[in-house]
Amino acid sequence: MITRQFGSEVRWMLRRPRTLIGLFGLILVPIIISFGIWSAGEGDGGPGLGAILNGNGMVVPIFTLFLSLNLLLPLVASIWAADGLAGEAQHGTLRGLLVAPVSRVRLLFVKLFGLTAMSLFAVTLMAVVGIIAGTAFLGTNGMMTLSGTTLSTAEGFLRIAFFILLVTFQMVAIGAVALAVSSTTEHPLVVQAATMTTIIVFQVLGQFPSLDWLHPFLITTGFPGLIDVMRDPIPLGQIWDSTLLAGCYMLIGTGLAAMRLITKDS
Amino acid sequence: MTTSTSAPVTTGHKTAVAARTKGLRKEYGSTVAVDRVDLELPEGAVLGMLGPNGSGKTTTIRMLLGLVRPTQGEIELLGKPLPDGAEHALPHVGALVEGPGFHPFLSGRENLIRCAAFEPLLPKKQIKQAVEDALERVGLAQAAHRRYRGYSLGMKQRLGLAAALLVPRKLVVLDEPTNGLDPAGTREIRKIIADLHEQGSTVLVSSHLLSEVEATCTHVAVLHRGTVVAQGELTELLQAGGSALQVITPDVETALSALRTAKISARPLGEGLRVELAGTSAPQVIETLVKAGVGVYEATRWKTGLEELFARLTEAEEAERGMSAVDTLDGGPR
Repeated sequence: MITRQFGSEVRWMLRRPRTLIGLFGLILVPIIISFGIWSAGEGDGGPGLGAILNGNGMVVPIFTLFLSLNLLLPLVASIWAADGLAGEAQHGTLRGLLVAPVSRVRLLFVKLFGLTAMSLFAVTLMAVVGIIAGTAFLGTNGMMTLSGTTLSTAEGFLRIAFFILLVTFQMVAIGAVALAVSSTTEHPLVVQAATMTTIIVFQVLGQFPSLDWLHPFLITTGFPGLIDVMRDPIPLGQIWDSTLLAGCYMLIGTGLAAMRLITKDS
Repeated sequence: MTTSTSAPVTTGHKTAVAARTKGLRKEYGSTVAVDRVDLELPEGAVLGMLGPNGSGKTTTIRMLLGLVRPTQGEIELLGKPLPDGAEHALPHVGALVEGPGFHPFLSGRENLIRCAAFEPLLPKKQIKQAVEDALERVGLAQAAHRRYRGYSLGMKQRLGLAAALLVPRKLVVLDEPTNGLDPAGTREIRKIIADLHEQGSTVLVSSHLLSEVEATCTHVAVLHRGTVVAQGELTELLQAGGSALQVITPDVETALSALRTAKISARPLGEGLRVELAGTSAPQVIETLVKAGVGVYEATRWKTGLEELFARLTEAEEAERGMSAVDTLDGGPR
């Protein structure tokens, strides 16, 4: 029964016109990045990761996801979370599900599953397009790391797969908090606005050294540390901290959403 | 008729019930949407739930389906207490509440398939067939491939009905099922309700269309200002309200004074008078009139329609309370 509900949820998400448009938009990002670096020619690719991009197409997927994690991927997660509960309430379909009946806790898990599956799909899609576009525009010869070493193609793929999982986890954590907001309203736009505002405000707060006591609690603080995936060997410290922080967001978001859903009048 | 808010009229016999509420109350903030609702839905009955807009019909239905938590009171649905027993009771309940709710970007058929995926009683292999059958039953088979976005109000309503009928149900709850339907559609709904009744399903229909209820229902519950003011079998309720005699006579004045002397209440009406049969009987009235020398051309038992009963139950009180009542009526949640 639950697999059938999971399947229905993912199919429903994939059938939404806005999901398809969103996915199309996401795959444009690695293509544009690859094209941009290729057309800029041999020049300086900028600091950090940008510097090793030229002639290093395998880095494009990592660079793409790393950039997108700041705004684009949270936006997509918030849209899915918004449609999941607030959108269903708005169309009156939430009533139908609850009367079927689907228990409220299970419904939340169905929604979380949909969010996770679609996030993983979107992130993987971006990575795959990134590999293809990066290789096509910039060529590749293994994967050059930030530490200066060069990994084999197979090892490069492993790094990309690891990064996909890390980014998906961050995205789902944001989505889980957005689901909690989504369970309180029937206006999807409110959910998106609230989530994006929070992400942006967190990033601004992260810029103030005087607020450094607050930084360990902001999910956005964990984003930059994920780039350690591109070092050789991988230092796990920051990656672990970021993932743990995202895990806390996920638990809190899910808990709040469950509490709200159970007592909600619909 | 003995009717008051504190002691609702209840007729009918003790039978197995499909649903029952006891002292149901729901507050939204400071507004009391529903109060002291004791509803009994006998098994196999077609219960028409009547009431003006904002009288608490939909709120009561939403509580019956476990969508809304009552502030106070108990609910029993198909023998299971709510909300804890919802998981066991609701699979046997089909519902169309507060208008149809579907995804505009999916076709009618795809919407139903999504509903079917969440029906506990529907095995995966039967989903396709169940969806086609339901579409056929509500007359949507031709339009099933079209997007819900483009459906007319009547088609949307039909799709909602199809979702309620995906699985054979013990209880079907229809909230204003004929909304937006043309006369042919209304007849079809009536037919579907009759079929359900024949198959032994219990049906709860809420409506403000009295003719609708009178034509399809075996039982009636009248809600007014958030509480049940009368419920029972339709025929009994109508009889209870219909104790009047219409007498056609040219001597209205003589007749009135004769009846007044005999302490029988009457008033002029049309070509004759209307005599209340409370505390008296038709032969007694006619005897009184004939003894007084009044020519009685015709005497007919006054047949109360549901409309009159409804008006008496909901409007009399309104007039007593004055216009202030209207505000609260409109202010309540739907």
